[in-house]
Amino acid sequence: MATADTLAPTTRRPNSRIVEWATTTDHKKIGVLYLVSSVAFFFVAGAMALLMRAELAVSGQQVLDDSTYNQLFTMHGTVMMFFFVVPFAIGLANYFVPLHIGAADVVFPRLNALTYWLYVLGAATVFAGFLTSDGAAAFGWTAYPPLSRETYSPGLGGDLWIVGLASSGIGTTLGAVNLIATIFGMRAPGMTMFRMPIFCWNILVTSALLLFAFPVLTAALAALFVDRNFGGHFFAPGSGGSAILWQHLFWFLGHPEVYIAILPFFGVVTEIIPVFSGKPLFGYRGFVLATLLIGSYSFSVWAHHMFTTGAVSNPFFAATSMLIAVPTGIKFFNWIGTMWGGRLRFRTPMLFCMGFMLMFLIGGITGIFLASPPIDFAAHDTYYVVGHMHYVLFGGSVFAVFASIYYWFPKLSGRMMSEGLGKVHFWLMLAGMNLTFFPMHQLGLRGMQRRIPDYAPSTGFGDLNLLSTIGSGVLALSLLVFAANMWRSLRRGAPAGDDPWKGYTLEWATGSPPPPHNFHRLPPVRSERPVFDERVRAAAPRESSDG
Amino acid sequence: MLRPRRTLPTPLLLGVAAGCLLPACAPDAVDVQGGAVGELYTTFLLVAAGVFATVVGLLAWSVIRYRDRPGREEPRQHHGNVKLEAVWFVIPQALVVGLFLLSLSTLEEVDRAPAAADLGVRVQGFQWGWRFSYDGTGVEVTGTPERPPVLVLPVGRNVTFELISNDVIHSFYVPRFLVKRDTIPGKVNELRVTVEEPGTYRGACAEFCGLLHARMDFTVRAVEPDRFETWLDEQEVS
Repeated sequence: MATADTLAPTTRRPNSRIVEWATTTDHKKIGVLYLVSSVAFFFVAGAMALLMRAELAVSGQQVLDDSTYNQLFTMHGTVMMFFFVVPFAIGLANYFVPLHIGAADVVFPRLNALTYWLYVLGAATVFAGFLTSDGAAAFGWTAYPPLSRETYSPGLGGDLWIVGLASSGIGTTLGAVNLIATIFGMRAPGMTMFRMPIFCWNILVTSALLLFAFPVLTAALAALFVDRNFGGHFFAPGSGGSAILWQHLFWFLGHPEVYIAILPFFGVVTEIIPVFSGKPLFGYRGFVLATLLIGSYSFSVWAHHMFTTGAVSNPFFAATSMLIAVPTGIKFFNWIGTMWGGRLRFRTPMLFCMGFMLMFLIGGITGIFLASPPIDFAAHDTYYVVGHMHYVLFGGSVFAVFASIYYWFPKLSGRMMSEGLGKVHFWLMLAGMNLTFFPMHQLGLRGMQRRIPDYAPSTGFGDLNLLSTIGSGVLALSLLVFAANMWRSLRRGAPAGDDPWKGYTLEWATGSPPPPHNFHRLPPVRSERPVFDERVRAAAPRESSDG
Repeated sequence: MLRPRRTLPTPLLLGVAAGCLLPACAPDAVDVQGGAVGELYTTFLLVAAGVFATVVGLLAWSVIRYRDRPGREEPRQHHGNVKLEAVWFVIPQALVVGLFLLSLSTLEEVDRAPAAADLGVRVQGFQWGWRFSYDGTGVEVTGTPERPPVLVLPVGRNVTFELISNDVIHSFYVPRFLVKRDTIPGKVNELRVTVEEPGTYRGACAEFCGLLHARMDFTVRAVEPDRFETWLDEQEVS
């Protein structure tokens, strides 16, 4: 994606390109670095998932031994949550928040570069576990002590996991500060809060969640590190510590983290659906209110992960966890209301938004089931939860990730992606996703617990597991189609022009890719759709365009 | 204005709808508490099906009705409708309040202390196996992945499990009970189960507990009370 500077004179030393990217403080380049790194991690963690699905296809262990399997699901979860979904969202925010609000860069460009490199350093540290003699961390991405203490997980991989997560977590916290300050301090004249693109609102709320949630994780990680290396007893029940304490701290991060992983993507689809419906968002202020409600509720739901511990007030956390579904549900009506009466163009980004809505709907509904403590007593720690979470994070976040890529690739590269390949990608991914993850609900209800590399033939789990593994193959195929599309479009994609989709927001008012300082001129901002307004003005008869 | 035509009989339609829900149904519970959970699950499933059908119906209608076709005029730039938004705030809110109240009553049913606990069993999860000790007797059954233990229980009796662990967290899980609870070091948990159906059921550890987590299987054998007493006596002798 280095086409941003192909127009620059090429008289520099051959390695200058690398030095330039390594030392850049340009928010767009840092955004691209985030996006490319996180998608690379998505492919790596996806390959891990394929290995696990291969192992589970039939009863008996054919592909992986127990230890490797445990490392793989630990790393799959860790990488997807901390090194893919959230950094991808931060990458989009880096690239588009300044463009959306009409700014030339973020407030703290050098801090911005630091956050990216802390993230890469953290990810590399976590991955380094694979090079140690005991392998990578193998206690699950949730790292429940006492299992994650040195007695039961003595390897160096666990320590690298802690240090790596802390490093990238600190980066994420600093990034959140930067984004919040940028949104509050760098908006162009006329860009009031209620004229900001919804994407920026969602990034603002996400950043607030990051700011409150990640320091708690960092503290918990520090305590776990002390326990493991310096004889601490924070999480040692035999010595006055508590095994449950970690779960509180972890999920106090972990559940806001789920909203951190979805709110930016609510923002993405809320940018795309209006553009391809030819209408403004239905109920802008209600939508913002719903996002703020989700943000504030999200800190009161954490212990619904702990219903079966017998250590929390189940009714309280059931009530909050069900309440949070309401503002989430409202958003569906905003989206449908936007489409209602519109002129819907089903280009690839819009198709992925449709997929997002359908799949996230299922994930949201099963979420209500799990918020009910008695149902959770049955479904907790089974494949039902695995199915639910993948409808939310794969059906939700990942579909929106691809919607955003198809939507903004022309802006980043100046070239269009292939619609044909894009549609093949979409339909394969929709089919693969449902084949892979839908059977998991039934498997969970029948009693297949999470995090197992094998099951006995007598359990009868074989057929649905085989179906799920076949589905994962279809998913892999769909991603190959995506990769081919990317490869082809970077080289031979049709020129995009400034505004290929008839967009609404300010990024479409500048070049593709935008110049280093973002805008040669800014259109006046008088609504949440300045570029739409300008298009209308340009089309109107001269006398009415007095401006 | 309806043309006379053969309509599908309502029972058939209901049958098809039920068939669609089948892959999402929970297995029948074999205990009283799980029975309550199963009923709650079915209620949730019906509400969920209604919500899903409504949203997908609205979506499908907009996709079909409002897709771009040659000759479609520029859409009206409609920014919202506060009344409508208030309505769709209230409806889901009422739905979740209803589901919450149902959950509370089931929760109370599952956790309610029986008038008299007929049998206490102390369950210890360890890496990687289970130890079942029957209160007031010397009977203790221990098993490992190589020789999974059998937990013999009387049907129709209120059993209280006291759940403990001395190493890491495990979770005592019999899928057909439809209830599970964690065994946590430094904490004593309780789970109450009244098995109704005699039979042999699979048990497992649900909370990831390290290398051989997947092999912490056990078997529950639920038998008539008199056979249970005989079994218990035999164990005490040997």
